[in-house]
Amino acid sequence: MAEMGEKYNTKCPGVKRLMREAMELAEATEEYCARPLEDNLFEWHFTVQGPKGTDFEGGVYHGRILLPKEYPMHPPHIILLTPNGRFEVNKKICLSISGHHPETWQPSWSIRTALLALIAFMPTPAEGTIGSLDYTPAERKILAKKSASWVCPQCGDISNLLSSTAAKPPTEEEQSVLNQIAFKAEEEQAPKPPPLEEPAQEVEPQILESTESSTSFLDQLTEILVALLVGAIAIFVYRRWSTWYAIAEAEM
Amino acid sequence: MADDASSSSGCAGNLVDNSINQDELIMKQQREIEKEISETIPLVGELEPLASLEKEYNEDPVYLLKVKDLSSKYKNIRRTRPDGNCFFRAFSYAYLEHLLKDKTEYEKFYEIAKNSKEILVALGFSQFTVEDFYETFMEVVQRVGEHAGGSPDRLDEIRAELHEKFNRQGHSDYIVVYLRLVTSGQLQTQQDFYQNFIEGSRTVTEFCRQEVEPMYKESDHIHIIALSNALNVGVRVKYMDRGVGSQVIAHDFPEGAQPLVHLLYRPGHYDILYA
Repeated sequence: MAEMGEKYNTKCPGVKRLMREAMELAEATEEYCARPLEDNLFEWHFTVQGPKGTDFEGGVYHGRILLPKEYPMHPPHIILLTPNGRFEVNKKICLSISGHHPETWQPSWSIRTALLALIAFMPTPAEGTIGSLDYTPAERKILAKKSASWVCPQCGDISNLLSSTAAKPPTEEEQSVLNQIAFKAEEEQAPKPPPLEEPAQEVEPQILESTESSTSFLDQLTEILVALLVGAIAIFVYRRWSTWYAIAEAEM
Repeated sequence: MADDASSSSGCAGNLVDNSINQDELIMKQQREIEKEISETIPLVGELEPLASLEKEYNEDPVYLLKVKDLSSKYKNIRRTRPDGNCFFRAFSYAYLEHLLKDKTEYEKFYEIAKNSKEILVALGFSQFTVEDFYETFMEVVQRVGEHAGGSPDRLDEIRAELHEKFNRQGHSDYIVVYLRLVTSGQLQTQQDFYQNFIEGSRTVTEFCRQEVEPMYKESDHIHIIALSNALNVGVRVKYMDRGVGSQVIAHDFPEGAQPLVHLLYRPGHYDILYA
């Protein structure tokens, strides 16, 4: 962390906060671990254990956490990298309080809150929300087994990252937060991360979510204009053609 | 705003889930508006003569009468950015400014502020995030304390420093977050009392989670009552709206307290007033 201090302005509250969180999360636990990349305090990699007693039991899932420059005023973004059958991989998902405005992130939450919420949210039904996958229990169990051999290009073998120390149990306030949190994909597709070797990927074909519901108004307008233009050309061609046909017929 | 969003999704026709898309469109538009506001209006502005309000309402006889009434009691106004945090920002700025001239009040406040963290941790807020906000908040408070009641030249210097801090997004927002937490703490520790102020079926805790703790959520009476009680600071709010009469009505929080902070409320927004 010393070199981070030289690189970033530690007077800036966001930087100070992230360095504090890095210290808080320095020790890996049985349930989760997370740490910033060596050269970027605003990108972290995390590993979580699949919750026991669910289809994800025995699974170890790895992913990225992207922190906005406004953090902690704005929420972190989570991207799962290990195929898991619950969330699409390589897609930004964000947490919100279910049933409410998706931007109810609270600055007093932390990366730990986000990870605990992610673990708690994994066994909930996908219900067709964007970014969610509805794989069968059998498929999820296969993926959970395979996940142990998944390798991150930056962190290496992920199955060794977690420790055997139990994490601090959630506080009362954290628990009440966890009960309310939901995850959903963000509007826009996350930019593709650097090419990754994903050995487990061939097991499951990626289901591509249609991005229809995030089409912006402008796109829709363009579509309508294009449709109109095509129509106009068709009418024009048709009229030309029918005149030509009429002439040809007359000539015959 | 909502109209624009619904008409645009109305063009689509082929949307499967209209409600989600509308929500997203509204949010997108809201973000654009927020961006524009943040680029044009400072978090806390310079001191302006009250007459600048008159200009704003040149063609509005109802408001002009009220500005006139207001100018019989106040000389200056300081505007804040309308980002949903304006009450907390205006309150803390005005109060810290007052503390610079009032060492006794500072000492009283310092004790309350110092103990506030423990109350929050006892309520179950995560210790290290609360500490994070608390420390930045106390840094600013202590800086004010070093100069409270000092010589006028030094005060100008420290006022400039305060102004600069309040206009740096990071620091300024940290102060807002901490006051939001203190407000939430007060509501939760006095649940039975505050439950009466909450409409609908929400519990106090749910209300705090949804309307108090998140940034950019606007403040209502209940926020002001809770914060002024928690910090034991008198606030007078002058309500200027289209209501009948030429008087601008004042409300004091907590009732009967000597107001040290004066705020002007216009529907949806708070600015600071100076006598």
